[in-house]
Amino acid sequence: MDLLLHLAIVIAIYAIFALSLNVEVGYTGLFNFGHVAFFAIGAYTSALLTLAGAPFSLGLLAGLAAAGLCGYLLSIPALKLQGDYFGIATLGFGEILRMIVNNEVWLTKGPMGLPGIPRPDLFGVVFDTLPAYLALSGVFALVTFAILAFVVLSPFGRALKAVRDDETAAEILGKNAFRFKIKSFVIGSVFAGLAGVLWAHYTTFIGPGDFTLTETILVLLIVVMGGKGTFLGPVVGAVALIFFQESVRFLRLPPEWTRLLGPLQQMVFGLLLVVLMVFRPEGIIREKGGRRGD
Amino acid sequence: MDSISYYLQTVLNGILAGCIYALFAMGLTLIYGVLNFVNFAHGELIMWGAYFLFLFMGEPFGLPLYAAIFPALALTGCLGLAMDYSVFRPIRRANRLTLLIAAMGLSVFLRNAAQFFWGAEVRTYGLEVTAGMRFFGLYITAPQMAIIAVTLLCVAAVYLLFFKSRLGKSMRALSDNLDLARISGIDTKRAILAAWVISAVLAAVGGILLALDTNLSPEMGVINLIKAFAATLIGGVGNLWGALLGGMLIGLAENLGVLFISPGYKDAVAFVIMVIILLARPYVIIGERSD
Repeated sequence: MDLLLHLAIVIAIYAIFALSLNVEVGYTGLFNFGHVAFFAIGAYTSALLTLAGAPFSLGLLAGLAAAGLCGYLLSIPALKLQGDYFGIATLGFGEILRMIVNNEVWLTKGPMGLPGIPRPDLFGVVFDTLPAYLALSGVFALVTFAILAFVVLSPFGRALKAVRDDETAAEILGKNAFRFKIKSFVIGSVFAGLAGVLWAHYTTFIGPGDFTLTETILVLLIVVMGGKGTFLGPVVGAVALIFFQESVRFLRLPPEWTRLLGPLQQMVFGLLLVVLMVFRPEGIIREKGGRRGD
Repeated sequence: MDSISYYLQTVLNGILAGCIYALFAMGLTLIYGVLNFVNFAHGELIMWGAYFLFLFMGEPFGLPLYAAIFPALALTGCLGLAMDYSVFRPIRRANRLTLLIAAMGLSVFLRNAAQFFWGAEVRTYGLEVTAGMRFFGLYITAPQMAIIAVTLLCVAAVYLLFFKSRLGKSMRALSDNLDLARISGIDTKRAILAAWVISAVLAAVGGILLALDTNLSPEMGVINLIKAFAATLIGGVGNLWGALLGGMLIGLAENLGVLFISPGYKDAVAFVIMVIILLARPYVIIGERSD
């Protein structure tokens, strides 16, 4: 039972993480390969504040604000790049953020990580049991889903898609593509920060090893496999892939296998990305109106 | 060591690092020029090149360094061809996001395959460490002299190939305009295959030199991909000589930067340079092609 609750919590958190990436990759066509950085910024901001005695609500808000602000600051130089170049710039940002976490020991304790992050309490309720935490992250996941669905269905969301499909045409129609991309990137960063905050207070320990390129790849695979540019795609992807990843972790295997299991699982994820791109780039759920092969 | 020779030594170290980055950047920019996409798996060609040498120097082959280099380079060239044949050729005409994610997936696959076979730990080739030689107060080791000699050799070979041979001419035509090259009767398939082999071999040469001078680990690809990319951006994308210059600049900036900042941030220097370039040149025109 505990295992199922754990699975559901991790799925809820990764669904938020994937939904946030979907705004960028799916709806705006921004190839963000450093998305884990904003997850980390949310996690570290909230963890440091609450460890210093601040209430969870403050940590949460500060986590979202910090992720959003960093997203804004990165997007100004990075969004001047197109396509694949933006991808490498964000990839670089993700690596640098991890370098900062490793080096600024006075703030982050470096590779030692931050243990003992308090469980959240909101409105006098402490979410310190698995069912309670599931309720908390479930509510946040639903709120995220609702907000992002609203954003995407609004005229703003249609403008994002227009920028994605044909930037020049969108510009001719008077849409400032650069500004729309910045807004999309900031929205994505804020919700990635939310996922990070929930992650930090769930595991109660974070370290630089939690925020590697591997996490970005996992969340990218979730979005791409589920179906980018769809509402349910990231959720479907999160359920399938987190179930696979976490259940492999609970198999009782001899210790000499577990050393090989990590890389093997990553090989499967990498191969899945390649196979999807070659045979079904649109993922499990196809975007309505999306052309095949897009 | 007095302070002047200390600075000179730093400059020398910068040039050595720059040679290696230049080799990475030239391969990356070559594929960009010919196929118009950034090969995210280029870092993995660097890493596999270094590991192929490790494979041939270890059991059961046990070849000496100079003999093991040839099969290692050949295998990396084959790996480049295999990447193109199995992944990139089927989606040549797909949109950029598809290509990019496929390259990313390939990179993850190859990086973890190396970790699967050889483990995540940092390794060396186990060669004897020789004392550095002294020239005018500067120290340089045998692998470091090899870096300079091999880079010069590679640059000369690339020059002859691109500007003095028919194959090079067809590759340049291809990177100018794919369709125009095709209707002019250029064998584009052959040129693309050649570009993959050259790009992979340059990556392997750089990776091996880097591993000889320092060490090898499955993670060595990603960070060097970012540096190679920063170098191509400095030199103008798709421009071979620009990549050479960009690589040198990144290597020098990194080593001189350590005089002012903590060595823990050495790898961040390339990224900072990249951001400065982007802010200074607001709209970088990427990949000027006429098709």
